[in-house]
Amino acid sequence: MIISDSDRARLAIRLVEAVNAAATGTTVLVPLHHPDEVDVVDQWCKRTDNSVLAIHDEAVEVYRGRLSDPSSSLPADRMPGSRLWMYTNFHCNLACDYCCVSSSPQTDPRSLSVDTVHRAVKEGIAAGVKELYLTGGEPFMHPDLAEIIVVCTAAAPTVMLTNGMLFRGSRLAVLDAMPRDNLVLQISLDSPTPDLHDLHRGVGSWQRAVDGITTARSMGFNVRLAATLAAGEPHQEAALNALCEQLDLRPEDTVVRRIAKQGVATRGVVISRGTVVPEVCLTSTGVYWHPVSATDPDMRVTTDIFPLEKAIDAIRSEFLDYRRKGDMLAAAFPCA
Amino acid sequence: MQPVLVGAVAYTANVVPIWEGIRDYFRGSEVEMDFVLFSNYERQVESLLAGHIDLAWNTNLAYVRTVGRTNGECRVLAMRDSDLVFQTVFVARNGSDYKNLTDLKGSRVALGSRDSGQARILPQKFLADAGLADDDLQLVIFDSDVGKHGDTGRSELDALRAVLDDEADVAALGITTWNQLTQAGEVGVEAVWTSPEYCHCNFTALPTLDEARAERWVSHLLKMDWDNPEHRQILEMEGLKKWVRPELDVYASLFEAVKEQQIPDTW
Repeated sequence: MIISDSDRARLAIRLVEAVNAAATGTTVLVPLHHPDEVDVVDQWCKRTDNSVLAIHDEAVEVYRGRLSDPSSSLPADRMPGSRLWMYTNFHCNLACDYCCVSSSPQTDPRSLSVDTVHRAVKEGIAAGVKELYLTGGEPFMHPDLAEIIVVCTAAAPTVMLTNGMLFRGSRLAVLDAMPRDNLVLQISLDSPTPDLHDLHRGVGSWQRAVDGITTARSMGFNVRLAATLAAGEPHQEAALNALCEQLDLRPEDTVVRRIAKQGVATRGVVISRGTVVPEVCLTSTGVYWHPVSATDPDMRVTTDIFPLEKAIDAIRSEFLDYRRKGDMLAAAFPCA
Repeated sequence: MQPVLVGAVAYTANVVPIWEGIRDYFRGSEVEMDFVLFSNYERQVESLLAGHIDLAWNTNLAYVRTVGRTNGECRVLAMRDSDLVFQTVFVARNGSDYKNLTDLKGSRVALGSRDSGQARILPQKFLADAGLADDDLQLVIFDSDVGKHGDTGRSELDALRAVLDDEADVAALGITTWNQLTQAGEVGVEAVWTSPEYCHCNFTALPTLDEARAERWVSHLLKMDWDNPEHRQILEMEGLKKWVRPELDVYASLFEAVKEQQIPDTW
């Protein structure tokens, strides 16, 4: 249907009347008499420095004024789509009591193939991905990890999350064959002493992780520590810094993150699409909003991994929409 | 030093962020300011005359009335650049064949609120100046926002609706309303006559306001900068690019209209 000039004039009157009565930064509903009127509203808003916020069945929600760029408050490396996470596999030699994806030795591996990683990296880079993150499960349990690392590090700076406990035998050889450039090993260490770490991750795991860090450093790898803490658990920053020094790490190479109520965690930060800045996350079962929720059906954006750009666009668009609407108290949830 | 107290009329919700923004801009300056909102211009002018406020952000009619009430002794401190180039546009349906105001003889002319300079008082003057007496026209009047001196634009929109509803042939609109409407594209209505420019709002003060204090306040006001994002936000909301010193000559047409139409200084 083509909107008649007269109907366009009446719509313009409704727009001027509604928007002029509103304060800048607030929204008004402008009734529509026909769906095609949306285009007129959009044109009017663009020309008058107002903004269409949402289109409803019989009305358009107009924001008085220009919307600020919702991404402007985020550093470039946190913009959705700048990081691509990949769950290489979901099985793990540990069964941590807070694991956000319920990994354990018995978990179905759901591994990504080298081909899938290759295509994801290629499409991701083309879509603006700047950093790659590999996680699991324990990536060192993936039989083709060496090839995956080659593919990733050749394309972009890569961070691999690991518990650092499997650097022995053939896996030590796999580690040694990995490039030192463009690769950071992020090894989990929850506390500067074994107590808290072993409480969540199993007796003896702290010492083996420290041994793994020492091994990786001795082989010339860039290493950083990642502590996962529950509410009330102390960061013990000073002691952790002292340990960093012992392990030949810089204090700034430490990431502290909160336990999320995901996977097997019975307590922790409750997250949703509206409360977490997304970090595009690929698994063998689809693309997820954030790596901390990679088994949560509500956080799965699509089961179609490819084309990856479509999934990235969908996540970015939904995120910016949350920001625009001001419905979001975006909590940074750094996993790396 | 006490802040300069400015009165403004709350004709839209946007008035609050506008004046809070201007107040914040003055914070820390030589002469700070605060503001008081009124529900209508008559109340504001009365408060200025009573000394309750130092300055009134007045419409052109409120200014003319203040001049009348102070025997011409009130002062104008500043205006918006956009206040110097205000116009009224007579609009009719496309193809109406009106070329100028004299063609309107016998037509139905929709006018806005009786206290609106742009939608009623000056349009009536322009029609009279074109030789059209009230008897030569069928006036369709919309006194829909009396007290706000046409600031809401509501009576102008009502007048345009009358044209669209074929209850009037022509409507008189302020140029800002007309420009806003035409941003929707072709609206089937065209401008048939556009008036000469005339003045709109200004900051009006009584002669009792200390001149040095007033000058310090105005000097700081004039420093608001379109290229400064914080200032620009306020300037955009208030509809100007820069504050300017007053040019009172351009109020002449409204003074004449008020006199000719015998509009009282109060009502």
